[in-house]
Amino acid sequence: MGSKLNQEGIMLFEQPFARVPYENYRKIFRTSQKNVERDLGGVQTIANDLASRGSGGNLSPEEAVKSIDSMIGKVENLKRKLSDLHETAGKPTQDVMRERLHHLATVESLQNTNQPEFSRWADIRLDRWLVDWCLRAGKEKSARSIAKAKGIETLVDIDLFSDIRRIEDALSRHSCAEALAWCSENKTALRKIKSTLEFDLRMQEYIELSRARKTLEAIAYAKKYLIAWHDTHLPQIRQLSALLAFPPNTVCGPYKRLYDPSRWKTLAKSFRLAIYNLNTLSSEPLLHLALYAGLSALKLPACFDHDTKNVDCPVCDGDSGMRSEPLGLGKLAKEVPYSHHANSTIVCRISGKIMDADNMPMAFPNGQVYSLEALEDMAARNGGIVTCPRTNESCSFSALTKVFIS
Amino acid sequence: MDPLLKELTKLEKLTAANGKGPSIQQSLDMLLIALESAKQSFLAGECSEDDIRKLAQLVEAKKKEVDERQKEKFPSPLPSYSDLFSSPSSVAALERTIALHLLRTGQFDVAETFLEESNVKIPDDLREQFVELHQILKALRNQDITPALTWAKSHQDFLQSRNSPLEFYLHRSQYIRLLLSSHPPNPLPAISYANTNLRPFYKEHEVEFRRLMACVAFLPLSKLQCSIYKDLAQPTLHFDLEPLFAKEYCASLGMSRQVPLRVVGDIGGGGALARIEKGRKVLGDRKGEWSQADELPIEIPLPSENRYHSIFACLVSKEQSTDANPPMMMTCGHVISKDSLQKLNKSGGRSKCPYCPVETAVGSAKRLYL
Repeated sequence: MGSKLNQEGIMLFEQPFARVPYENYRKIFRTSQKNVERDLGGVQTIANDLASRGSGGNLSPEEAVKSIDSMIGKVENLKRKLSDLHETAGKPTQDVMRERLHHLATVESLQNTNQPEFSRWADIRLDRWLVDWCLRAGKEKSARSIAKAKGIETLVDIDLFSDIRRIEDALSRHSCAEALAWCSENKTALRKIKSTLEFDLRMQEYIELSRARKTLEAIAYAKKYLIAWHDTHLPQIRQLSALLAFPPNTVCGPYKRLYDPSRWKTLAKSFRLAIYNLNTLSSEPLLHLALYAGLSALKLPACFDHDTKNVDCPVCDGDSGMRSEPLGLGKLAKEVPYSHHANSTIVCRISGKIMDADNMPMAFPNGQVYSLEALEDMAARNGGIVTCPRTNESCSFSALTKVFIS
Repeated sequence: MDPLLKELTKLEKLTAANGKGPSIQQSLDMLLIALESAKQSFLAGECSEDDIRKLAQLVEAKKKEVDERQKEKFPSPLPSYSDLFSSPSSVAALERTIALHLLRTGQFDVAETFLEESNVKIPDDLREQFVELHQILKALRNQDITPALTWAKSHQDFLQSRNSPLEFYLHRSQYIRLLLSSHPPNPLPAISYANTNLRPFYKEHEVEFRRLMACVAFLPLSKLQCSIYKDLAQPTLHFDLEPLFAKEYCASLGMSRQVPLRVVGDIGGGGALARIEKGRKVLGDRKGEWSQADELPIEIPLPSENRYHSIFACLVSKEQSTDANPPMMMTCGHVISKDSLQKLNKSGGRSKCPYCPVETAVGSAKRLYL
């Protein structure tokens, strides 16, 4: 039992897992870089000034000492700032990174799925997926409680998602401020992925001004924030200018669409996409992707036929009992394609074992097939008589015929 | 090799070197030392622009170093299947699955929170059954077989219909414990326990019963561990009761022996998605079209413990059997699909087996139920 681990297939899911703290660290790094640039820039200016005055010969030792003192002050200040940043943000993020990489290294060192370490690892992975799913579905309390119960807080991104939620909530209250703040924090990265999120947000604020009929403010707003985008968004900017001529209750198609409040939902969606994109989070919950692939690998027409259901099969969905309409995984399986098989596999309905040349399939006179092992076992216990569990037909063991399924 | 892994080692190196913070600190310390020394030399009345210039250069070099470290690139992102499982009924199905998963794995507090935050209703009696399961499992972990035995007794018919050795194994565990607990070895209490509790299973477990009785001759434990009965001294004999009990308990509720969400997740996250994606790339990127298709165009290999249904693929027609096209066994015992059998039909109503010389009359081929 057990099979070789497919490392590539496992790692496909783990990119965001490794990437999120990395992005986080990059942000911290950028902050510290900005500090370095600003403070050391100052030091550099003083130093250059000192040097030029020194070579000019009009530099008194007192002045020189004073400017050097101010440089020392600046550098010490920078040092303190950087070590604070490292202690409060840098170090914790590094720890998260290290723990996650250790978690991935664990599975990397394994060979086979039947190792107990793999089972433990896969348990944690499923818990991570559940947390990810809960966070995306807005069930933050459940997410926290799973993470806490399993002690996997460093392996899940609760903070990132509560940030997302905070900004999305603001958007649903029709406030762009939070999202715009996030945009300016991530300006370069957004530009790199050619995201127009910021323009869309600005556009919405403008539309709201127009809706409130604050025409002058809207014009000022457009001058300040929209004109900058004229290279790429000229047609939209033109249309927005014309919007001022239309009242919110207009029936004119293009302008009616601009006033449509459902634009806020679209905005929330494109914000979500942008922040997922920056953190290389998949647009779907990881659990969905795993279920899609897992269910379609298992799904067979037999799973939906009452006579061929198997309680152990996840797609057959034993949890739903004998209801005609499945309630759990069987319901989800309806959305995925069937598995494909080019070769026969005959599974014994008594023992659940796969039949092969060592454990031949045997047929009752009525055509029901079971494995030799299971039937031999049954015959030994019942004085050579075997009974088909599906049809209750009995016959002697010698009446069974060997089946050759090539 | 997955490019991701390379990235990981790169990252690991980065963290192993203890990041950029400390090294920046080091160079700042160097800067401070240099500044102090410059101050000293100024105080001593010596002007040294070179030093200052060097300091500035040091900072520049440092920045470049740091910038270098910033360069990185990640390979292929995860695929996206838009609107997957997003309909309200699918969300409900998933919520229900997760709630049952939490209950089944004994995370009752978490399940409580989850149920509060979602719209699923799990009937109380079902919930209590899971609580009972975990109480019994906990007792087993604490070497108390009584609750498990009580359950087994009340479900005796069910267990017998499944040929389950649960009750026998529970008694076996207790017997071995009694046997090994006395110092110096006194097998009498164990043997009297066996007489009342194990003897009724003599018919079903004759061989094992005899071994249990014979192993008494090899006490104490140290001797037993070197004998042919050393398997009886293994702790797994007791630990394996937990999964066995969970399996029987779940079966009595009509539930699978493995945790279904884990099974599906392990298959999906263990290569199936990667294979599906690869197949999609090879077959051309017809995204939407493909996910709507009825069947995956490639085969996903499954471990044998995850084969739950028989699949018959006729080697003549290469098609999977259906109700309308079932597997048919010819008189020689070889099996092909009904359609193929009819195509092989020669005049005279006989078909020659494609695998051997035997001919089968049309009416005498037998439909199989796999």
